[in-house]
Amino acid sequence: MTDKHIHDPLAEEGHPVKDFRTGVPATPPTEDVPASAIASRSSRTLWGDAWRRLRKNKLAMAGLIWAIIMILVALSADLWVPQRFGDPKYIDTTTVSQRMLLPPSAAHPFGTDRMGRDIFARVVYGSRISLAVGVIAVAIEVVIGLILGAIAAYYGKLWDSVIMRIADVFLAFPYILFAIALIAVMGKGFMNVFIAIGILGWPSIARVFRGSILSVKENEYVDAARALGASDLRIMTRHIMPNAIAPIIVYATMSIGGAILTEAALSFLGMGVQPPTPSWGLMLSDARAFMFTAPWVMIYPGFAILTTVLAFVLLGDGLRDALDVKMKD
Amino acid sequence: MSERFRKVLAVSLAVVLALGISGLAGCAKKTGGETGGETGNKPVKGGTLSFYLNEPAFIDPYNAQESEGVQVVSAVFDSLVDFDPITSEIRPAAAESWESNEDATVWTFHLRKGAKFHNGREVKAEDFKYAWERICNPENKSEISYHLSAVKGYDEMQEGKATELEGVKVVDDYTLQVTLKEPFGDFEYVVGHPALAPVPKEELDTPEKAKAFADKPIGNGPFMMAEPWKHDQEIKIVRFDDYYGEPAYLDGVDFKIFKDEETAFLEFKAGNLDFTSIPSGQLKATIQQYGESPDGYTVEPGKQVLTGSELAVYYVILNNKDKLLANKTLRQAFSLAVNRQAIVDSVFEGTRDPATGIVPKGIVGYQDGAWPYAKYDKEQAAKLLAEAGYPEGKGLPEVTLSYNSGSGHEAIMELIASDLKALGVNVKLDGQEWAQYLDKLDAGEFQMGRLGWIADYPIMDNFLYPLFQSKSADNHSFYANPQVDSLLAEARKTPDADARIEKYREAERMIGEDAPVIPIVFYKHGRVGSDRIRDFVYGPMGIAALDKAWIAQ
Amino acid sequence: MLKYIARRILQMVPVFFGVTILLFILRAPGVLPGDPIRMITGEKAISPALYQELVKENGLDKPLPVQYVTYLGKLVHGDLGRSYQKDRPVVEIFADKYPNTIRLALAAIVIEIIVGIAAGIISAVKQYSFLDVVVTLSTSVLVSVPVFWLGMMFQVLLGIKLKEWTGGAFYLPMSGMGSPPDLAHLVLPAVTLASVSTAYAARITRSQLLEVMGQDYIRTAVAKGLSDRAVIFKHALKNAMIPVVTFIGLDLGAMMSGAILTETIFNWPGVGLEIYFSIQQRDWPIVMGGVIIVVFAVMLINLIVDISYAFLDPRIRYGGPAK
Repeated sequence: MTDKHIHDPLAEEGHPVKDFRTGVPATPPTEDVPASAIASRSSRTLWGDAWRRLRKNKLAMAGLIWAIIMILVALSADLWVPQRFGDPKYIDTTTVSQRMLLPPSAAHPFGTDRMGRDIFARVVYGSRISLAVGVIAVAIEVVIGLILGAIAAYYGKLWDSVIMRIADVFLAFPYILFAIALIAVMGKGFMNVFIAIGILGWPSIARVFRGSILSVKENEYVDAARALGASDLRIMTRHIMPNAIAPIIVYATMSIGGAILTEAALSFLGMGVQPPTPSWGLMLSDARAFMFTAPWVMIYPGFAILTTVLAFVLLGDGLRDALDVKMKD
Repeated sequence: MSERFRKVLAVSLAVVLALGISGLAGCAKKTGGETGGETGNKPVKGGTLSFYLNEPAFIDPYNAQESEGVQVVSAVFDSLVDFDPITSEIRPAAAESWESNEDATVWTFHLRKGAKFHNGREVKAEDFKYAWERICNPENKSEISYHLSAVKGYDEMQEGKATELEGVKVVDDYTLQVTLKEPFGDFEYVVGHPALAPVPKEELDTPEKAKAFADKPIGNGPFMMAEPWKHDQEIKIVRFDDYYGEPAYLDGVDFKIFKDEETAFLEFKAGNLDFTSIPSGQLKATIQQYGESPDGYTVEPGKQVLTGSELAVYYVILNNKDKLLANKTLRQAFSLAVNRQAIVDSVFEGTRDPATGIVPKGIVGYQDGAWPYAKYDKEQAAKLLAEAGYPEGKGLPEVTLSYNSGSGHEAIMELIASDLKALGVNVKLDGQEWAQYLDKLDAGEFQMGRLGWIADYPIMDNFLYPLFQSKSADNHSFYANPQVDSLLAEARKTPDADARIEKYREAERMIGEDAPVIPIVFYKHGRVGSDRIRDFVYGPMGIAALDKAWIAQ
Repeated sequence: MLKYIARRILQMVPVFFGVTILLFILRAPGVLPGDPIRMITGEKAISPALYQELVKENGLDKPLPVQYVTYLGKLVHGDLGRSYQKDRPVVEIFADKYPNTIRLALAAIVIEIIVGIAAGIISAVKQYSFLDVVVTLSTSVLVSVPVFWLGMMFQVLLGIKLKEWTGGAFYLPMSGMGSPPDLAHLVLPAVTLASVSTAYAARITRSQLLEVMGQDYIRTAVAKGLSDRAVIFKHALKNAMIPVVTFIGLDLGAMMSGAILTETIFNWPGVGLEIYFSIQQRDWPIVMGGVIIVVFAVMLINLIVDISYAFLDPRIRYGGPAK
């Protein structure tokens, strides 16, 4: 994975290049986005329209359904997986040599790993880590990004410069190396992986949000609200957020896929989730030794990552199309 | 040849027999090498062997430490003595013969005449003195000066109070006399370390030359450097035709540098490497495909996988100063709980041996089952756990097992944790970066951890003294037993080999009773050679004897 | 324009200080556990005398701010210090590594340009056709695939299995650069590294082309009777290419910081792996030097991309009338 894979080659400030992962303008130039057009519509219609368009997009719906299935499986795992497929973590060492590296069969649909554990069970439990990363890491990155983006855009000048320069430093630093260094500082373990990914992800969100705010801020209705004596917070929550939220939603959905890939990469390098907790990246790292002799050890966790990320990518694409104001016109 | 040397030889041969390596005849054949492979092929000159290596830290002997650097140094340099690649029996090398005085404090080595460095100059006794002082000079920051710590004048040099090693005397061009601080019966083994080879002074007299030497050392061994070391890519050596011994058959060896063994193994499978290590998990399949070498050390066509014992042990350290683990009975219970065979079977596919003590097979003095608690006995473990005050683990807090992650230890740690959990002990696995891990070990901020120990020289002392002597810096378990300390000191002073080994054995049993660490497995090779190489021996010390190998045309 | 360039270069200054200060914070005592001197010697213990010698020799006995200033002073003269462990100048180490990274990056970029743009054009021109669906789906899959897994699959399928299937006649080298470096060894790492970017390049090409083709002047051109092909290649492509070229330029910049995962899988001796290992080894001179070089390379390429962007697209103005 190139570092860029999970690290958006975002355009420099003031640059009208799109953020290529999401296709959302990173810093939408004012002339491109008819923000007044959005503002004039009630948000209810906006979401209703978007949902209708999304429903028509088969790929996006497939992504959504797959994501929902994954979430349900992950949540219900305790109820049926260990009973049927055994403990995904611990090993009965007295029988391990008879149960190790068994090829896929009815009893073990994905085969067993070198510890004799059922790979299906481990893949199912691994989804918990990946989905948790997707949700928590992205939540962290969105919260930090929104706050800093809002401060930069709303208070301007000094705040803007300082925050954007910090964002530059973050974006200039090689992404994976930065993540590795952060985890080395904080210690390994899955919470720290979430935090590291979250901390590293904020600059992109901040830029997207800052750009959206800037494009909305100068509009008449914001001025009007201000003239009426609305507080900054009220202006932000009532007038700016609703209009800037669409790109953030699209971006966040896309970022879930990126966060899952980052966690897998870090765990693969031994810097992420620690055993015996099952994580897809960790399973692949283990599997490297059996690539040729027991390919199932490698194939299934890889497909799990691929399909899960794909689900969020397709959903993100669909959301982008559904929410894109330009395309609606 | 000294009286003592003959004794060592006798013991070594006994070990050879005990190890079942086809008796004396086979031994002579293997060490001689000229007789050729089983097929009756005569060795032929020519061909270049390609050999997988990790990037070494140093290939200049003054700092040769890890296996990779030592492999190159041992091909390019000859020390005073060396070891038979299979039996580890001591043999003359740069020194033709040697003897010691009665109490093993003064050693005299007689050098071969006419042996040359690769620059054409004859090797003289002063070259050893120069090389050794180079190692001991603190300005050179050699990390392996400890090899010479027994020599008189070592401490003065390390502290910067002296510029010469007082104990090393050049009697004449071909006689080197070494005086030790105190008796050390095994010293002749120490000087066999490749790092203690002679170096030509004239190649190091300017900083530029020294810099060049670091990447292209000039030695006295059967091979010489073909070109400077290409970092992270390749080290090329070629035959030295003026070698004092029989010249090598190979035209040269290309040490191909890979960062990880998985990729190297792929290259081997593709036919681009002649010798490589087998990544864990692939041994069985590799044996099926390439066949297993009967003696475990020699590559023969169709019997190409090497699984011979190595002089190394993998163990779990217990912090003996920890409140919980200071309890000897608890340590014994933990040690009994670990199913070593399961680790051997699943992680190592049966190609390690469960450890029964700390001194591995292949070392003179090895005793099977030296440690009473180094075995798997679940019931006994449960009983001892109750005796220690924690029946079925009740009242026992979670214990942390730390290790350096990303180096393939995860699987072993998971199995150990599962075993302890079965006993009722909750274990938290704590994978750390190597740097961080070493910090914690040094500071004693751990409960359980892991380490491996590889012999520098094939002697018991090299396991017992560094790991369990109470003041040794490598004693990470903080084990301190005055009785063991005095027994080890006594053993070192015993000039008679048999009596000395008996003392070491007693010390090992004494340590085993206290279970300060949990021995897990003894290492075995997991390497494979191509079908075109002949008489290729990769011994228990983990060094390939490249001088006798040849390539079938 | 000059003003813009000057402003951009000025903006690089705080980034540079930010990055170097961040690096020094990382190595401050207590931040990143692990003693660099201890790492030099590894598992076996060394004497306290030697330890002190090594601390002094590497300048670690001085306070951190002093070390920082000393470091910057040397940096000005192009001296990045010496590796703690390899005992070689950092500049020399990266002089060894950078050519490898550049080879791999350029090969990946070539694939990205040829395959990515071609796929994007096909899929835009034949919008909603079967081919378009194939391209759209496969680009979605490629951006979702963990690159290290893709690399492993390539090794199995195109290395070992292909060799088995063809009876040893044909297969691709699975690792390393070859000695001397050759093209065959480059194929799998380059394809792996290029995979994600190629997918992005195709997606951008497609969406840009569709957007441009929907614009009035293209419709006019078609109405005037120009053939589809002429329209696409003469008019639409030229305008649609600007963002694509920008993306590829920025991607090249990103690749200059190495590709740890691809390098790991294929044992490619590039800068990413070097810095990664040095972080683990706490070999600060390599980490610092490597990150600084990488950041400079990335910023420089980004700057060039932005400037050429301004030249290519007259609509973009950077605080002043364009001429």
